[in-house]
Amino acid sequence: MLALSRKKGEALVINNDIEITVLEVKGEQVKLGITAPKDVPVYRKEVYVQIQESTKEAVATASLDALKQLF
Amino acid sequence: MEVRTRLFGDIAIEDDKIIRFVNGLVGFPTMKDFALIHDGDAEGGKGIQWLQSMQDGEFALPVVNPLDILEAYDPIVEDELLAPLGELSPDDMLVLVTITVPEDITKMTINLKGPIVINAANCKACQVIAENDGLDVKFPVYDILKARKAGE
Repeated sequence: MLALSRKKGEALVINNDIEITVLEVKGEQVKLGITAPKDVPVYRKEVYVQIQESTKEAVATASLDALKQLF
Repeated sequence: MEVRTRLFGDIAIEDDKIIRFVNGLVGFPTMKDFALIHDGDAEGGKGIQWLQSMQDGEFALPVVNPLDILEAYDPIVEDELLAPLGELSPDDMLVLVTITVPEDITKMTINLKGPIVINAANCKACQVIAENDGLDVKFPVYDILKARKAGE
């Protein structure tokens, strides 16, 4: 992993069209501003992982016959 | 396109019926090509459908129409995130959510936070993350479905 130090107000540029700025640092919390093309989805990772896990579980669905009785 | 599936045996889908997730599924960026399969014996077209991967026969995702379960479901999504779907008229927009059914079916849930949007006009699709606060990734539905079934 590339590790870069940034101060408040400083930014990173990724791939010419994505800019991530440190807006605020307060204790353990860092507020980031992200400028990216609007078709580039930006997710909080924990939500992303939750959805990924939920999809994995859905693919592993069991007891379909019981399920049919509910629909 | 043909694929040997775990659930449906060998299936062949015409290329123009293949649903293409332009950016893959959330967390599965390479999962792009799917067939939407209706469960054969469901009456009235309601019930579970399957998004069967055309790339991996083992990967089939049960999905339901969330409005069949929660009439008020209204995910908020930036228009730009739907741009991969091309021009999208409301009549062509199909919203589905995945349903997860564990061994104990009373614990079945649907994912309201990560709906799947399909443009029926061109078969392009994407999975998005809704911005609404309070939309549950694991929303329990067993009691709702059971009550509905009892009321039929």
